[in-house]
Order: sequence, then C-alpha cells, then structure tokens
Amino acid sequence: MSHLLREIAYVRSGDKGNICSFGVIAKAPEHYDALLRTVTPGRIKQLYGDFVKGAVHVYRLDNIHSVNVVMEQALGGGAPSTLRLDQTAKSLGNAILRLPIDGLS
Amino acid sequence: MKDVVRLGAGSGFWGDALDPAVELLEKGELDYMSFDFLAELTMALLQRQKLKDPEAGYVTDVVAYMQTLMPMARERGTKLISNGGGANPRTAGKRIVESARKLGLTGLKIGVVEGDDLLSRLDELLAEGISLPHLETGEDNIAAMRNRVVSANAYIDSSGIVEALRRGADVVVTGRVSDNGPYVGPIMHEFGWSHDAEHADRIAAAITVGHLAECASAVTGGMSSRWAEMPRMGEAGFPIIEFSRDGTAEITKLPGTGGRVDQWTVKEHLLYEIGDPRNYLMPDGVPDFTSIRLDEVGPDRVRLSEIRGRPQPDTLKLIIGYSDGWIGEGMMFFPWPDALGRAQKAKDTLLERFARLGLDAQAIHFDLVGVNMLHGPAAPMPDYELNEVGLRVAVKTNTRDEAEKVRRACSNLWIMGPGGTSFGTPMKPRPVISCWPTLVPRSVVEQSVDILEA
Repeated sequence: MSHLLREIAYVRSGDKGNICSFGVIAKAPEHYDALLRTVTPGRIKQLYGDFVKGAVHVYRLDNIHSVNVVMEQALGGGAPSTLRLDQTAKSLGNAILRLPIDGLS
Repeated sequence: MKDVVRLGAGSGFWGDALDPAVELLEKGELDYMSFDFLAELTMALLQRQKLKDPEAGYVTDVVAYMQTLMPMARERGTKLISNGGGANPRTAGKRIVESARKLGLTGLKIGVVEGDDLLSRLDELLAEGISLPHLETGEDNIAAMRNRVVSANAYIDSSGIVEALRRGADVVVTGRVSDNGPYVGPIMHEFGWSHDAEHADRIAAAITVGHLAECASAVTGGMSSRWAEMPRMGEAGFPIIEFSRDGTAEITKLPGTGGRVDQWTVKEHLLYEIGDPRNYLMPDGVPDFTSIRLDEVGPDRVRLSEIRGRPQPDTLKLIIGYSDGWIGEGMMFFPWPDALGRAQKAKDTLLERFARLGLDAQAIHFDLVGVNMLHGPAAPMPDYELNEVGLRVAVKTNTRDEAEKVRRACSNLWIMGPGGTSFGTPMKPRPVISCWPTLVPRSVVEQSVDILEA
C-alpha cells in the first residue's frame, strides 16, 4: 500500500489576490527529502487540474524542513469575485496531502 | 533605555475575539499592543461606506476595542497601535478621542496616520504617465475601468507610526499600513532605527515577528494542523513578542491560556500567505525567511534568531478596488437513496430554469457539497453510496437583476426538483468589488501624522 503525504507533512493554506499559497511542513527532518520529491510543480498541476490555471512554484526552506507552494490564477479570480465557497483558499492547500509519497520505506 | 520591547497582539482580523486581548493587556506587562483589522478586500468595503457617509469608512470595532482597553492601557503604560482607521483614520481618531473623554482619560494622545489613500490622486498619477499594470496578469487597462474604481490604498510602511510615537501618542490609528506595521513601528521607535542598510537585518526581524503575530491566535494554536491535540482552542492566548535590540526575539503567550506556542505553530504561520520566502516584500523591508533559526527554549516559548533581510523596496503595493458585477448563489441538499443521482438531476433542472429565465451569466459554477466543493478536481468521486450530498451553484452576472434570477431558479426547484430535495433560506445576490493589485513608486506616497488630545 502506498503512503500519502498526509503521513509526513502539515499544511497551512491562504490567498493573495488570485494566488493560493500554502506551506508544507515536514513532521520530522528525516521526512524532508521525501517531501521535496513529492511536492513538485508538475504533480501539483496534475492534482489540482483546472482549479489552477497559472504557474506553480515550489520554494524550499531547508532551515525549517518545509516548502512554500505558490499557485497562480488558482482562486477563480480572487477572494472577492470567485464563485467558489472557499474564497480565501483556507481549505484548498490541504488537498496536497493526497499525493502519494515517492520512495518512503 | 530598554533592551527588550514587549509587544502583544490585540486582534488578528476584523471579527476576532476581544477577551484574549483584555486578558493579555491585563496580565502581559506589555509596552505595546498591536491590532490588525484589515484584509485585502476590507479597504474597498470601507471606502464604499465612506462614499455614502463621509463620517463612516473606519473599522467600527476599533472604537469599541479602544473604549474597552484604553483605561487599562493607560494604567499600565501600554500603547495601543492599530490599522482600524481603514478608509477614514481621521474620523476613527475623533471617535476614539470622544470615547477617551467620556472615560475621563484627560490628556490622552491619539495619533492619526494618513497618506495611504490615493483614490483622489488616481487621475493625477495616470495623467503623469505612471502605469499601474495588474501585478498578477500584467493587464494595463485600469484607465478603461476608471469609472468603476471605488478605492485605491497603498500599503504604507511604519514611519507614520514611528512619528506618532515620537510625538507622544498613547494610541495610534492608521489606514492601510502593512499588517506587520503596527509591530514594526514600535520596535523601530524604541530602538531609534532608521530604514538604512545598517539596520536591514534587524528590521527584517521586526517584520518577521510582526508577520507571526499579526493574525493573533493563528500562531498560538488557531488554524493548526494539529487541531486534534491542541488544548482549549477557544481559550487560546494571544501571542507575546519579546523583541531584543540585537534583532533576536522570543514568542510566547500567557501561562494558563489555551493553545500552544512551539516550533510547529510558528512554522505554520511563518509560511502563511507569503510568496518567495527569500523575498518577503514589505514596505519596511524584505526579510529572507530561509535565514531564520527557530529554537524551542521553554514551554510555549520559541526563539527566533539569525534573520537576514534587505532594505525597503522602492515601490509600494497599491490595491485598487473596483465594482465588478454581481454573484447569485444557491444551495440545496439531497438524501439517500441515490443522493448523487438526485444532485445531478437537480443540476440539469437548474440549467433548464436558467435557460427559461433567460439568465445572462458571465460564468456558472457548480459544486457537490460533501464531495468536491473544497478541493475541486483534486477530490476523487466517492466509490460508495453517500448518506446525503449538497449542490451549490454560484453565478457571476453583470447586474443585480440577472443575479436575482439565480435565486428565483433555485426557488423554482422547491417543487420542480427531484423528490426529497431540501433547502435552507435562499441567498441574496451580492455585489462584487474586485481587487487590482499594482505597484506605485514610494515617492508618490506621503504620510502625515496628526496628534489629537482627549
């Protein structure tokens, strides 16, 4: 059975304009490498499908064993004008925890 | 001269709990209590209130907050700094003065910081050839939408707050200062720093702690991924920042309060609503979050050190708010058996009603509540039969009348829809004010400070 990112990471998610950004934090330093292998722009684009229309950036923070994910054009126009209920993307980031982890023993 | 400044959070947003602020002011031995009341959209809403009534447009809660807290703050020598002036800091300041007089706080000084509001100067800026392209999309046609613009506020730095404190203000109220400005200002004032390269790292540290504290309980257990193990979240203590002259800081909360402060609560909030962590662009400076060292140094106590940063940027963020049509929405729920089948049929039925009513929509969005409303395409369809499911529809229109048709169509389904459909109260159409983020040269913004006395 494959492991999911939810086992090794925490998430906090929010918005800025039409951008959704979220931090993904390794629960332990030894999980950071697996987190880096798992949370990639390509896999994020694939997971979120047409909810994310723009570029996806993943920024490393080696000092706190975390990454910050920035998804552009990801809120259906931004908090005031989006047709989604989750206007400020508080929930959206948690979906990342569905990603299967590569190479976790 | 102090070597450590003690600051506490009094509010993380307009709507936050007041009791943790009262508790913290009473027992926290604070030099300053800082309040953030503004979100991206708030300025546009407040500006619209001000257009209807020139005496409105500030965060009304700020007066009630100050009324509750000023007597205790004066007794303890704590200064209160907020951005609750919103689109009308001057009137907010006057109301706070009136409130202070009623409380008998004679001589209390209220500093009003203005200069963020560029609405009346927008035409001048455009005429000068200052281009205001959309920060995310690059679109450059704001002039074409000029008649729909309702607000234009720059995110200003903390220099107005510093000036107000230098002139003896006990309470400071500002407009759209950056969220961390109410923390950065007092720190810069206490240590006498200026915005030069020599102080860049230490100011970056002040911005970082401001960022951590500005959402109040969000760094002491609120919003936590570890909610299941978080103690007494409804009684969470608001954060205390002990900021040292050398640019290190400790973050903690009152003993006995709910929630927690540990490496996880701090990491989670450090990463909240930021872009590139090496360039956290703020009006007072640019911290590099990849430089920060975090250490748990005691129960509910985290130390921050080694923070690096660059001096303040030459441009300021400006958010222009403009009227952008209407949204009509509705929600209905379906029971087992075959809840999903009913929801699908209701969706088809709604689309038939929209067509019959001649709905002119810019966009129509459907969600299955309980299946994919929050995660959209990232959520797999369930492979088991649901007990119940909801259908949510939201439609963007140009006019209120068109948005009203969405409500009517949803009401039509009370009888025209699948058997077993249940409804709450139909939702009223709501007007949309969209945000146009852009940059302006720092030089076009001039802050002014006025001290009012009770």
